Amino acid sequence: MKDILHTNFINETQVQNIAQKWLDSMGPEGAEGFLLLLLKLMDVVFMLNIWNFRDNIKDFNGRYVFHSKDNSIIASASFKNGNMKVYDRIIDKPNVTITFRDDKALTNYLLSPKPDILGSILRQDVTVSGNLCYLYKFAYMAKRLQLLATGQI
Amino acid sequence: MKTIILDDIRFSQFTPENLPESLPNIAKLRTAQINLKPQVCIERAHYVTRYLRDLADKTEPMEIRYAKAVNYFLSNKKPQFFDDNLLAGTTTSKPFGAPVYPELTGTHIWPELDTISTREKNPLLLSAEEAKELNFDIFPYWMDRNILEYTRNKYPHLQGLGLLEKLVFFFATKMGTISHTIPDYHVALEKGLESMIADAASREAGLLQSGASSPEDNQKLAFYRAVQIALQGIIAYAANLSSRAKELADQTSDPQRKHNFLAMAEICKKVPAKPAETFREAVNALWIIQVAIHAENINMAMSPGRLDQVLYPYYRKDKDNGRLTDKEALEILSSLWFKLNDNTNLVPETAEELFGGAGTVPAVTVGGINEDGEDAVNELTYIMLKVTELLRLRDPSMNARYNYEKNSAEYLERVAEVVAITKSVPAFHNDVADIKTLENQGIQTAHARDFGVIGCVEMGVPGKTYDASSAIMFNLVSSLELTLYNGKRPITGDEVMSIETGDPAAFTTFNEFWEAFKEQVRWMLGKAIELNEAFGLVHQEILPTPLLSAFFDGPLEKGKDLIFGGARYNASGTTHIGFADTVDSLNAIEKAVFIDKVCTFAELLKALQADFAGYEKLHAYLVNKAPKFGTDDPIAVKNSQNLIRFLYEFYQSHTNYRGGKYKPAYWTMTNHAGQGKLSGALPNGRKANKVFASGITPASQAAQELTTCLRVVGGLDGLCIPMGEALNLKFPEVKIPEDIKRFAQTVEAYFRSGGLHVQFNIMSYEMLLDAKKNPEKYPELLVRVSGYSAYFKDLNEAMKDEIITRTEYDLHRGMANPFPASDEDLLSNK
Repeated sequence: MKDILHTNFINETQVQNIAQKWLDSMGPEGAEGFLLLLLKLMDVVFMLNIWNFRDNIKDFNGRYVFHSKDNSIIASASFKNGNMKVYDRIIDKPNVTITFRDDKALTNYLLSPKPDILGSILRQDVTVSGNLCYLYKFAYMAKRLQLLATGQI
Repeated sequence: MKTIILDDIRFSQFTPENLPESLPNIAKLRTAQINLKPQVCIERAHYVTRYLRDLADKTEPMEIRYAKAVNYFLSNKKPQFFDDNLLAGTTTSKPFGAPVYPELTGTHIWPELDTISTREKNPLLLSAEEAKELNFDIFPYWMDRNILEYTRNKYPHLQGLGLLEKLVFFFATKMGTISHTIPDYHVALEKGLESMIADAASREAGLLQSGASSPEDNQKLAFYRAVQIALQGIIAYAANLSSRAKELADQTSDPQRKHNFLAMAEICKKVPAKPAETFREAVNALWIIQVAIHAENINMAMSPGRLDQVLYPYYRKDKDNGRLTDKEALEILSSLWFKLNDNTNLVPETAEELFGGAGTVPAVTVGGINEDGEDAVNELTYIMLKVTELLRLRDPSMNARYNYEKNSAEYLERVAEVVAITKSVPAFHNDVADIKTLENQGIQTAHARDFGVIGCVEMGVPGKTYDASSAIMFNLVSSLELTLYNGKRPITGDEVMSIETGDPAAFTTFNEFWEAFKEQVRWMLGKAIELNEAFGLVHQEILPTPLLSAFFDGPLEKGKDLIFGGARYNASGTTHIGFADTVDSLNAIEKAVFIDKVCTFAELLKALQADFAGYEKLHAYLVNKAPKFGTDDPIAVKNSQNLIRFLYEFYQSHTNYRGGKYKPAYWTMTNHAGQGKLSGALPNGRKANKVFASGITPASQAAQELTTCLRVVGGLDGLCIPMGEALNLKFPEVKIPEDIKRFAQTVEAYFRSGGLHVQFNIMSYEMLLDAKKNPEKYPELLVRVSGYSAYFKDLNEAMKDEIITRTEYDLHRGMANPFPASDEDLLSNK
C-alpha cells in the first residue's frame, strides 16, 4: 500500500478500495505504521482532490507533530496554501504536538467508531501540547476520510 | 403570616393523570417536549461570526463590536413558532436546540461533525449543510480566537493550563462559560427596555458633556453605547416576533390558534420595549430577555431567579382586575417551563463521561422571605410548585427556600409533597443559614434575603452578585493522591505533577500528613486560581458582556461592564469533588496508621497500589472500623470541619480580577462519578476506579443513622460554605399523605442543625437497578444528580451506579436499608 500511495496515478475508486482494505485489516487494535499511512493517504487524497477534500485545507496553515511516548514512532505534517507535506521527523514550530502511547491509542483517538478524544486524554493514552483546535480539525479530516473511504457518508 | 388567596394550594383538580382532560394544551405540549430530539443550532454562531469577521469596524472598542454582533444576531434571528406555546421567542432556531458558542468551547465538536447525529450517547442532530458551514466557515475563524487558545497564546507559561488539560486535577470553566448568575428582571419589566436605553444614553451624554476624555472615561462611554446597542437588538427581535405572529395569525383558520398568535403579536409589539402591564406580558417579556441574554452568554446556569417574587405584582394586579384565573396563570407558567426546556448543551460525546445528562440548569427559586424579612410565599409559589408537579421536566432546576422562622408548615409540607410526587424536585434550601452565610460575605441583609439559587445549589442575589459560581471545580482526591505519592498520581504515571511534600512512609504523625496534604491543595489551587484569573482577563479583552450587564445593579452606575467588576458584589465560586472520600481517607490514615497502628504507612501505600488485593484484612478494617464522615465519630467530625475551614480560609485570602472573593462550595454535577473512575484505591477502602460520593454527601453506606448523618452534615460551619452545598439523600418511598409530615420534619430538623441544602430521590435500590437494566421501562425517570435534574436514561454508567448506590434510608426507622447483596459489586468499596 505504501508504494501505491506514493504514485499519483490512482483514482477515487482505487483510493476507496485501498483505504477500505487497509481499514478492514486494521481492526480495533490499530495497525503498525498506522500514522504514516494515514498521513500518506490523506496526502494523496488532498493531492488528487478526491471528494473535494482539498477544500478542507484551502487557506489553512498548520503544522503538526505526532510521536509515540518512546519516540519509536515519529511523523509530522504541514499544511500550507492548499498543500500537505508529510515528514518522518519532528518539524519545528508546530501548532500542536500529539504524544501517544502506541498505535492503538492513536487509532482509538482518531478513528474508532466512537472518537474517544477526551477519554484518551483522561487515560493519558494521548497528551496534547498546543492549540487544540488544530487537533480537532485534523481529527475531523481523519474521521471524514475514514467515513468517505468506507462509504459510510 | 401573610394571607394566601387560594381555595386549594394543591390545585387538586389538576393531576398528572388527568392532564389530557384538565389542561389539554399543556398535556400536548408536554408530550411533544418529552419526545423532542435535540439538534445542533448554528444560527447564533453564523451571525456572530459573520459580524465580527466581515462587518465589524476593527477600530471600535471590543465592547461596542461585541454589542453590535449581538444586535446583528438578534435583529436577524428568525422568529420561530414551533407549537401552541403561549409565549413567543425561542432560544435557538430548532424546537430543541443546542447552540454553538465557538468563542468558548463550541469547536470541541469539530471531530464529531459527521457522527454527532448518530453517536451512541445523547446524539445531537446536525444537518450536512450546517456541519459544512461549521467546518469551512465558522470554526476556522475561531481556531486562534476562542478563550482557551487566546489565553494559551497570551500566557504561554501558565502552568495551570497544562494541569487543566490533564483533566484530572481541576477544571477552570471560564474557557467554556461564565454565566452561572441571576440577572434581575424587575427594572426591565417595570420600566421597559426603552427606558433602560434612555438611561444609558443619558449617562453617555452626561459624560460627553462633562468633557471627560481619559482612557477610563472612554471605556465608560463605550460601555454606555454598547448597552444601548445590545438592548436595541432585543427590541428588534421582539418586533420580528410580533410581525411573524401576526403573519401566522392571518394564515391559520384555527380560531384558538389565531387568537393565540394575535395575542403574542400584540404582546411582542409592546414588551419588553415598554413596561409590562399584564401577567402574560411580564412572563413573555422575561422570556424574550432570557433568550436574548443567551445571544451573548452561553446557555449554562443563567438562572431566572425568584420568579414567584418577580412576577407576583403582575399576577396580583390581573387577578384583582378579574383579567386572570389561576388556571390561566398555570398555563402561562407551564408555557414558560417548556420554553426553559427548549435548549440544551452542546457536549462532545466523550464529555458525557463527565457531564452526561445535564441540562442547561436555569434555576428557579420560590418561597423564603422577602427583603423586609417577612414570609414571601405567595399564590405564585404554589402555582409554580403545581407546574413542577404536573410537568416533571428536567429544567428548570426547581428550588424551594424554606425559612423555619417565617414560612408556614403548610408550605414546607406542600414542597415535600411535590418532591414525593415527582420523586425528585424541588430541592430544599435553608433560608436562615443561607442568608447568614451571604451576610457573612459582606452582602447587605436586605440583599441577602433576596437570594436565589444559581444553577445547581449556589446562592446569588439577582442582579446584584456576579458570581461565576462554577469558576473552578477542584478534585480534592487528586491532592490526596499527590500527597500519598509525593507529587505523583497513579493516573498520570511517573511524572511529578505538583510538588514533593515527602514520602508519607516517613511521616511519624498524622499532623505531618495533614500539613503535606494542605500544601498540595494550596499549590494546586494556586495554579487553578492563577488560570482562572488569566481567563478572566482574556474575557475582559475579547468577550465583554454589555447586554447581561444591563440587567444588573451596578454596571450603569459605575460605567463598567460586569466582566470588569461592574456588579455591586463580585465573587468566583469554586466547588469540590470527592469531599467525603477525602475526609474518610484522612480519618482512615489517622486511625489505622497513627492511632490503632494496624498498619504502617508503607503497608497502607502498598495495599492501595495493589487495590487491596492480598490486603483483605486491612481492607476490611478500613471499611468497617475507620471513622466515616456522616457519623459522630470525633475523628471524622474533626477532619471534616478542619477541611471545610482550611479551604474557606485559603479561598477568602484570594481576591479575583473583578475585586471579589473566592468562595468555596460542595456540589459536583456528575464529576464525582467521572473523576472516581480515574482515581486509584483510597485509604477509606474505596477501590480503584470506583465513583466518589457526590457533593457533600457521606460515602455510600458510610452513615447508617439518618439523624446522625443530618446532624453531622448540618454541623459543618455554613459560614465556611458561602457558595452552597449539595446533600443528596434517598428514600425508597414517601407515602402521601401519611408520610409527608415526617418527611417535612426531617428537612426542618436538618435545617435547624445548620444544613444549607438537601435534595432527594424518592426511589429504591431495586427500582433504580431495574431502571438501569430496563431503561425502556423508565423513559421519564427524573433524578437529582448533585445539584441538577437529569433523566436517568441519559446518564453515563458510572453516574447511574452512583445514584443507585447512594445510601437509601427508611424514613420511619431512620436507618439505612441494606444494599441488595446481588449487586454489591457496584459499591465503591467492593
